[in-house]
Amino acid sequence: MFPFILAKIARAALTIVLVMTFAFVVLRMSGDPAQVLLGPDAPQDAVDAFRERWGLNDPIWQQYLAYLEQILTFDFGVSMRDQSPALDLVLERIPATLAITIPALILKIGIGIPAGVYAALHRESVADRGVIMLSIFGFTIPSFVLGLVLVLIFAVTLGWLPSGGQDTWQHAILPIATLSIGGIGILARFSRSAMIEVLGQPYIRTAMAKGLPWRDVVWKHALPNAVIPIITLIGFMVGALIAGAVVVESIFSWPGVGRLIVVSVANRDLAVVQCLLLVIAASMVVANLCVDFAYGLLDPRLRQKRAAH
Amino acid sequence: MLINRRHTLGLFGAAAGSLILPRHLMAQAPRRSITIAVQKITNNNTLDIWYEQSNVGERVFFPNLWEGLILRDWMGNQGPVPGLATEWTRLDDRTIELKLRQGVRFHNGDELTAEDVVFSFSDERLFAGTEPAGGKTLYAENFKPQNAKELPASVPGVARRLWPALRGVEAVDRYTVRFHNATPDITLEGRLYAFGSQIANRRAWDEAATYAEWANRPVSTGPYRVEEFRPDVSLTLVAFDDYWGGRPPLERIRFVEVPEVASRVNGLLSGEYDFACDLPPDQIATISDAPGLEVQSSTIWNHRVTVFNKQNEILADPLVRRAFTHSIDRQAIVDALWGGQTDIPAGLQFDSFRTSNMFVEGWAAPDYNPELARDLLKQAGYNGDPIPYRLLNNYYTNQTPTAQVLVEMWKQVGLNVEIEMKENWGQIHDPEGTRGVFDWSASNNINDPVTPLVVQFGPNGEAQQKRNYWNDEMNELSAVMETSMDAAARQKAHARMLEICEREDPAYTVLHQNAVFTGMKSELNWKAAPAFAMDFRAANWTV
Repeated sequence: MFPFILAKIARAALTIVLVMTFAFVVLRMSGDPAQVLLGPDAPQDAVDAFRERWGLNDPIWQQYLAYLEQILTFDFGVSMRDQSPALDLVLERIPATLAITIPALILKIGIGIPAGVYAALHRESVADRGVIMLSIFGFTIPSFVLGLVLVLIFAVTLGWLPSGGQDTWQHAILPIATLSIGGIGILARFSRSAMIEVLGQPYIRTAMAKGLPWRDVVWKHALPNAVIPIITLIGFMVGALIAGAVVVESIFSWPGVGRLIVVSVANRDLAVVQCLLLVIAASMVVANLCVDFAYGLLDPRLRQKRAAH
Repeated sequence: MLINRRHTLGLFGAAAGSLILPRHLMAQAPRRSITIAVQKITNNNTLDIWYEQSNVGERVFFPNLWEGLILRDWMGNQGPVPGLATEWTRLDDRTIELKLRQGVRFHNGDELTAEDVVFSFSDERLFAGTEPAGGKTLYAENFKPQNAKELPASVPGVARRLWPALRGVEAVDRYTVRFHNATPDITLEGRLYAFGSQIANRRAWDEAATYAEWANRPVSTGPYRVEEFRPDVSLTLVAFDDYWGGRPPLERIRFVEVPEVASRVNGLLSGEYDFACDLPPDQIATISDAPGLEVQSSTIWNHRVTVFNKQNEILADPLVRRAFTHSIDRQAIVDALWGGQTDIPAGLQFDSFRTSNMFVEGWAAPDYNPELARDLLKQAGYNGDPIPYRLLNNYYTNQTPTAQVLVEMWKQVGLNVEIEMKENWGQIHDPEGTRGVFDWSASNNINDPVTPLVVQFGPNGEAQQKRNYWNDEMNELSAVMETSMDAAARQKAHARMLEICEREDPAYTVLHQNAVFTGMKSELNWKAAPAFAMDFRAANWTV
């Protein structure tokens, strides 16, 4: 078991280093931050001074080594825009994003899984068709369209909710709804098909044949077996908690990590983008690690297999 | 009932009170607060006039937050009006003396004195040891940083662009200052009301621990002070009741950053925002048709231009560049993409030039003449080789559709121009690869053709610095424009520069004047200035 965990952690660390390196190179290859930040009218003296100040004239490998050295001392650099520490800028935005992504995740799980399971247990019924139809609607409609439609209905036409901003709890309702509807659709579809597959397995027939009550068949035999693929999906959703709301945050002017990504990338604010990608990659990798470990907890067969190795 | 002396006094008191109290209450009546949705509050996340030299910066700074010795007449002809200085006199062609307005208070309660003016143009605040052209810095020893403040690296360069030869500012007495220039400069007064030359409080600078802390909440003299600044989110300005120009009419002005156009429009329609800025022309009808809303459009002092790169082998021939200029139907672009809501300027000229008597009457943008364009290409022996057009995706309003229209117009006369989409300005100016034409805009800041013609296309301008353009005569004339005190010689030089840059050896061709569209609640009695600046002083708010 221990070597398994160690291998997983090593792979996760390697993933993070690769993401960092890729981001570092691509950002520098795709535009001069001095020109981007100072604009088209900046005098050459100002551009030159800017490049000198931020070490942009050094060879890229030299810049990369300096960056690695910084990271190892937990120094994530400062924003080229206003000289604020990059890590502070990122950490400051995370609570705002989590304020909409966590409730959205709860809604996705709380509505999507029961709806999918219910549809699977009532296959071919009106409820099943209704769930399929709504879930297809949910995950096919792009979030920027859905968000604007919700604003048109609930803010412009009915005047019940604010259209954007972050001032009150009401401001969070439409972003949460927009974020969750797609995920509910995906989880409902996934849960339904996973349950249908499990319900067709011989051990379900055996359980029913030995006279177990239907409720016990579902709760004790079907659901635990169907949960593995669902956990994988939820793992992705948890990994995307920090960076999964870029479009929605832009539509609703929600000052979270997504907005910071857009602005920082557009401005080639290198330290902030690198810090963001590091945090996002780390959260995604940690979520995946947790899912890997959760498999073992949920499925005794996997646990035994790993122990055997 | 008997009315005794006490009752009589009481009645008199009540009557007097009824006359006095309402006025007093009227004067202190609760003021309205407004919310303005903008695409961007600031680009660089600071409120420093020297670091945030952008259109969006102009909107949040002027005239509500920052003020200079001389102010721009935002709602009028953009000419100079007394501000923190009540009068100014030329002592000679390099020196100007200004008398400060007495009793002006900064937002921290300090009185404005000559010391603040001197500080505002010091090495510590701006120039960081850069020497003026043609001279040496004065009074550098007076400024030693109080805290470890690192100026943004670009600030000295930007400051030297506006004040290339400023040696320093002398405090003659508590309320008198003198600006000393190393070279003769007819535009010194204009530079004093340009973007950047506003006055900061020295004590606030000294007390701030870092530059970032200061730049987040600068202390100035405007009618509104910074209450809260959340970069990329919102900026709240609150009334400064000790303002020298009288009590501001609004309690709070809140700028909120709403990057999506649709979201700004929706917020205005739902009543959350009082103003929605940066609207594209195609949204005008949506807002104008909604009850209780209107759109104010204003042409601003910024012209869209197409710039040529002379290093390109094809464009090295001025005949080809001239063909470009004559194959553009500018009116069709204005009508189709701007709903006719903007103008075609008389070349790279602005109405403001008239205030300094520098407007060249009778000059115009090249006429639309496809026949002439074809003939010019024939003379040049152009064989249809492709000319690259590096393009940003709507950095300017309507930029991409304009580019598509232009390419088709050029195609009509035989010019083979190929669009290359780019992501940022670094890629536009990348010296690697072949450059051809690109988009730019040119602004007028000081009511004199020095901006933009000399500043952008002269020897130190971006066009020449990036090797897009060069012309010896143009450079000689730029020197005349910058240093001559002879009005007639400058007028002549300006006219000749237009001939060179727009006809003989085109550096650029003007497309149209830029315009901004602001949606707002009709009940607000407010007028848009011909600028990005939004004036919320008492004279422009009469609700």
